Amino acid sequence: MLNENLPGPLTLGQRSFAPQQRLVMAIVNRTPDSFYDKGATWDVSAAMERVHAVVAEGADIVDIGGVAAAPGAAVSVAEETRRTVPFVAAVRAAYPDLVISVDTWRHQVGRAACQAGANLLNDTWGGQDPQLAAVAAEFGAGLVCAHAGPLAPQTRPFRVAYPDVMADVLDRTLGQASRAVAAGVAPAAILIDAAHDFGKNTWQSLEVTRRLGEMTGTGWPVLVSLSNKDFIGETLDRPPGGRLTGTLASTAVCAWLGARVFRVHQVQQTREVLAMVSAIRGEQPPARAVRGLA
Amino acid sequence: MIVSAALCPWPPLLVRELTGADPVLPELRAACAAAVTALLAAGPELVAVVGPGPRTARWPADGRLDVAAFGGGPPGDPARPVLPPAAGIGAYLLDQAGYQGPRLVWSVSEDEPASRCAALGAELAGLGGGQRTGLLVLGDGSARRGPRAPGYVDGRAAAFDASAERAVRAGDLPALLDLDPGLARELMATGRPAWQVLAGACPGPLRPVHVRYAGDPFGVMYLVASLAPSAP
Repeated sequence: MLNENLPGPLTLGQRSFAPQQRLVMAIVNRTPDSFYDKGATWDVSAAMERVHAVVAEGADIVDIGGVAAAPGAAVSVAEETRRTVPFVAAVRAAYPDLVISVDTWRHQVGRAACQAGANLLNDTWGGQDPQLAAVAAEFGAGLVCAHAGPLAPQTRPFRVAYPDVMADVLDRTLGQASRAVAAGVAPAAILIDAAHDFGKNTWQSLEVTRRLGEMTGTGWPVLVSLSNKDFIGETLDRPPGGRLTGTLASTAVCAWLGARVFRVHQVQQTREVLAMVSAIRGEQPPARAVRGLA
Repeated sequence: MIVSAALCPWPPLLVRELTGADPVLPELRAACAAAVTALLAAGPELVAVVGPGPRTARWPADGRLDVAAFGGGPPGDPARPVLPPAAGIGAYLLDQAGYQGPRLVWSVSEDEPASRCAALGAELAGLGGGQRTGLLVLGDGSARRGPRAPGYVDGRAAAFDASAERAVRAGDLPALLDLDPGLARELMATGRPAWQVLAGACPGPLRPVHVRYAGDPFGVMYLVASLAPSAP
């Protein structure tokens, strides 16, 4: 299903976003072990401070996750729920209109999160739990349909090969989007995500970046999650703490190619990059233009 | 008749173009090249390539590695059929060595029990008739040898890999038939079926053994060895 190939508004919770709007989704990890922040917001009060900070910096969406992507200790449904759901409720109480996303592949967690006020389920592992879409439909929540290739949750790619990586991305994400629509999820609340690094080596993540226009050309809103990832680290030979420049460069390219939602650690820097791209594209005026005009 | 064998892992990073500006593991690449050179120095009239694959099958002798499937490198020769990655690495290594002679290419499924692998090995050894056959075996140990490994950590990986390495170093190939397929799968040790084909192809000792590389720099056990090479 190609959504008639025409980008339409994205509707999440009480908010509706026009196709030209570029949205920042701030990562808020409720994990002790995520690769970039290493548990910086494991403490609930630190996590809430992070929410206050990213909202002040202009985040449109917060994405709350309770399980690190990398392999490690298994996190049960009960533990993931404990990490994320009360926090979703607390954020909802503090910000009645903020779009709250929950990063989970499990429908049980998705259900509890929606009951606590989440508006979007970010299914980063690409449809592992077919009941997740039904939960989104039941609560009027949105769904991110991501491409993890052949991978199971919390696993790393091992010699993954694709005859055509973008063809596989399109096949899997559009298939999930179609199934989500069939399950009753509002088409205006569905996004697709190439899921950089998930089931992909660096070459493959670079290729999906280069060919992102093939995703945006489907008409579905495209989310990109690039922030400080290994494909940037390998490209520039930089450790996780040294990947901001590469992240922002990748962000600019994806924005130029039509991505609409950017899942990030650094909100303020991303906002500036997106404002710059929007201005270059002629979709947003400069903040202040007097040069040669006075 | 198997006159010599070479044992190589098949990480895609053996293809120099796939690692970018950094050669990453030049010593591993050199060890594999040396193993293939020694294999060819034994003067085989036929080289049989066997590696793990999605199914047990014979593949076209002119097959090639699909480097582009890993996202980098130049597009391959469209006139040559694409092989599964492990056998493809074998073909690639022979190409790199400039080998122009006859090839026999097989993949072997991870679902094959040891007995079937051994039978395939015996069949392979006989397929060349009385020809002097060199055997190029592609296979890796566990990919679960540490927190940064592709398959993270499994405490059983080290012992499993050590038993395989011990058998190879001793030239005691029948011992490879004791490797448990279920455990190998759980450990992401892709080499198990191909190693057991080697065991079936060489019922007697194949000595001397020259281990050229044994290590796990990225959490996957790589073992490069020459068996009965006629050059060092």
